[in-house]
Amino acid sequence: MVVFTSHGIHLPEIDLWLDSREPVAANWISHAHSDHAQPGHGRVWATPPTMRIFKTRNPGASASILCEVKFAESWEWNGARLTAYPAGHILGAAQLLIEHKGTRIVYTGDIKLRPPMLGAPTVPVECDRLIIESTFGLPIYHFLDRDTAVGRVQRFARECLNDGLTPVLFGYPLGRGQEVLWALCQAGIPTAVHGAIARLLPEYERAGYTFPGWEPYVAATPADRAFVLVPGMRDTMQASSRDVRMAYVSGWAALDNARARGGAEELIPYSDHADFEELLALVDQSRAKRVDVVHGYTEAFARILRGRGIDAHSAQAAVARGEGEEGDDT
Amino acid sequence: MDAFAQACDETLRFSSRLKKIAILGAYLRGLNDADLERAVHFLLAQPASKAPVTMGLFEAQEPKKLSVGRRPVWDAVRRVTGWDDETLRLCYGEVGDSGEAAALLLTGIAAGEPLSLEQAEQIYLRLHSKPRAEDRTAILTTVLRSHLPLTLKYFLKVMTGGFRIGLQEKMLEEAVAEATGRRAADVRGANNRLGDLAAVALAARRDELHTIKARLFHPMDFMLAKPLEAVADLDDPSQWLVEDKFDGMRSQVHCDNGRVQIYTRGHEEVTTSFPEIAEAFAMVPGAAILDGEILAWRDGRALSFTVLQQRLQRKKISQSLIESVPVVFMAYDILYRDGALTLDQPFEVRRSLLEQIPTGPRLLISKSVEGVDLDAEFEQARERGNEGLVLKRRGSLYEPGRRGGAWLKLKRAFATLDVVITAAEQGHGKRATVLSDYTFAVRSGEGFVNVGKAYSGLTDHEIRELTKLLRGLATGRYSRVMLVKPEIVLEVAFDGIQKSPRHKSGYALRFPRIARWRTDKRPEECDSLERVTELYESSLNLTASREAP
Repeated sequence: MVVFTSHGIHLPEIDLWLDSREPVAANWISHAHSDHAQPGHGRVWATPPTMRIFKTRNPGASASILCEVKFAESWEWNGARLTAYPAGHILGAAQLLIEHKGTRIVYTGDIKLRPPMLGAPTVPVECDRLIIESTFGLPIYHFLDRDTAVGRVQRFARECLNDGLTPVLFGYPLGRGQEVLWALCQAGIPTAVHGAIARLLPEYERAGYTFPGWEPYVAATPADRAFVLVPGMRDTMQASSRDVRMAYVSGWAALDNARARGGAEELIPYSDHADFEELLALVDQSRAKRVDVVHGYTEAFARILRGRGIDAHSAQAAVARGEGEEGDDT
Repeated sequence: MDAFAQACDETLRFSSRLKKIAILGAYLRGLNDADLERAVHFLLAQPASKAPVTMGLFEAQEPKKLSVGRRPVWDAVRRVTGWDDETLRLCYGEVGDSGEAAALLLTGIAAGEPLSLEQAEQIYLRLHSKPRAEDRTAILTTVLRSHLPLTLKYFLKVMTGGFRIGLQEKMLEEAVAEATGRRAADVRGANNRLGDLAAVALAARRDELHTIKARLFHPMDFMLAKPLEAVADLDDPSQWLVEDKFDGMRSQVHCDNGRVQIYTRGHEEVTTSFPEIAEAFAMVPGAAILDGEILAWRDGRALSFTVLQQRLQRKKISQSLIESVPVVFMAYDILYRDGALTLDQPFEVRRSLLEQIPTGPRLLISKSVEGVDLDAEFEQARERGNEGLVLKRRGSLYEPGRRGGAWLKLKRAFATLDVVITAAEQGHGKRATVLSDYTFAVRSGEGFVNVGKAYSGLTDHEIRELTKLLRGLATGRYSRVMLVKPEIVLEVAFDGIQKSPRHKSGYALRFPRIARWRTDKRPEECDSLERVTELYESSLNLTASREAP
């Protein structure tokens, strides 16, 4: 009933793919990050923000049949009932509930349980079988909640500006970048934003968020601003003659060695993924008897779940062994 | 211990040395005397100190070795968290530090009872008195259940010696100075004499640093020589006394009527690696500290450093190695003799004290001559197989840790620089699988700036060793080039310096080649950008004077 392949998850009975990275007939896109949202499919379902960002990033996307679906509104596909629920990962991120022949399967996509700064908070969905990610599936990963992280971002920026240094915070162009900017704007800290992050701001404004007082980052931006840049700018910043102090806002910032890896002094462990406790809570709240772990520390996290009496499996291990679920051929 | 942990963690948030010193200084200032001592010991990763030995006015404490392996820590973590070995192994692998990994695993489990420095010290002492692993695990299990994760992180780091918060003793001396309002040089001087920073911190607080007397058997800083480009740069050669510059391992030997310890420039004790030198010093009557060079030696000549290297970094020395690589100690200065420091005596006085030390086949005293014809002296030193000359200014004092210009060194290549590796690249052909091409940098402010790249001069064995080390220091990658944490110091020789936009320093070295892997030097000891600028300017003057009509 569920087949894990190297390019996505397939439900052959209803011929539906989940986050396929290769062109398929019918595909669910959980959120707009490019490792989940690839173009070229016959038909695509996604939430409206995900669909709009997907189209912005993939001009050829309109060749597919694009179906926008709202949270908690079900639709039919090949005899199954499908429903999207918020996943809290980034703006528009969704879990998918598949009800077919009396079985409820939930695919989380990338997910976090605690409320995000921007986007709808996760709604736990009960199911028989849960397909969940485990990017941070080890008990060493503990993240800050939204409000604490907002406070840390603001404190860091103010501290730098008071010391006559330029605070530089890195964020991916979709998700973290806008969240960090939002945190700074809420405190009235003047902030210059990299174009790749700024480009998607209208999508967030459409969802009701405001970013008062930001300006586009250019090489000549004065030093008395906070900078929100994409991670690729790190070397440019390090090599520049600017007096900067850099912060790394990430789940990986939970470990001190992120300083050496990320080249930043300040670590703010806040993520758009669930930390270890959140993953356990997501599994508990789903009440699923069977769990498939699809990304990250899949084997370790599946083993930990088995230790808690859950029938859990690493999907990556299954793909590596070249076998699909229940002997299905991929 | 809670505030201690917070202060340590706070220093991690800043790469600026001054900021780290200010944070620690403010923390130390607020402690009472007993806690000040404890905190300084803990910052030096000395969890428990031995009963005080009275030495003069101040009690110096030998750090007590508390060697709690990782095993009891992980057994305790397993008991408290309930995680299986495989999960713990994975977690440790991601974090790379026992204390930090344990603290992260205990987050949400450990209770938040406060832990004072005094209580922490008592726990360390209890662990010290219970060598059995089961007892230690039991003690640690209770500790890990009871306190804040951040406190446990540093409690464990102090205990296991894995104190990687980038704190060198020099920085701590400055923090003590900051905390007590004394001059950093005075704190450093007192610590150099006593070798116990905790006692020095108390004395600093009471403004009694000047009463601290010297004590044997702890390494003191070495006086360093400044490079001299050419004999012609010397205004008056008669102001200098001249010795051969030996290419060996700089060492300091402490002896007191039979008891002997040998230290390296990095303050490591290496007595057991050189038993024949220790024996020779055991025969020296009275107490002394000598500065000199350990050399591989045969038929009245020093052998090359490469020969000596076979003896370095070995704990156990076999009889056959002692025979195949005979070593001597070539003494050239004396810092202490029979109850008194001699640092503040003029060089000539020290020299006559030194010459009264009885020599033997393993203990030699370097020849010191008047500086008359330095070019001729240089050539003769080279013929004797030595690197060049060291010039010592008449009347100069011994200045520990300083490269002040009272000693000058004259070597052959245009110059050499001590540089730190910042990036490495795989070679070609037989070196395709190893990192053999190194980009290197000199110090500039708080950081490092690149000055060149070199690919030759090391043996295949050294390249393999370096490759392993460099992989562990990787911080990022640009296609073929691996960026590394600046840790490894090389000495590079080169034929000149030119201005170049290719490196951030603005300079490039001509024909750089690796002269030696400086395992004895830390990155903060490598040469500075100012030194490169100086060399560049001196080379301009040289060319100009040659071209002048």
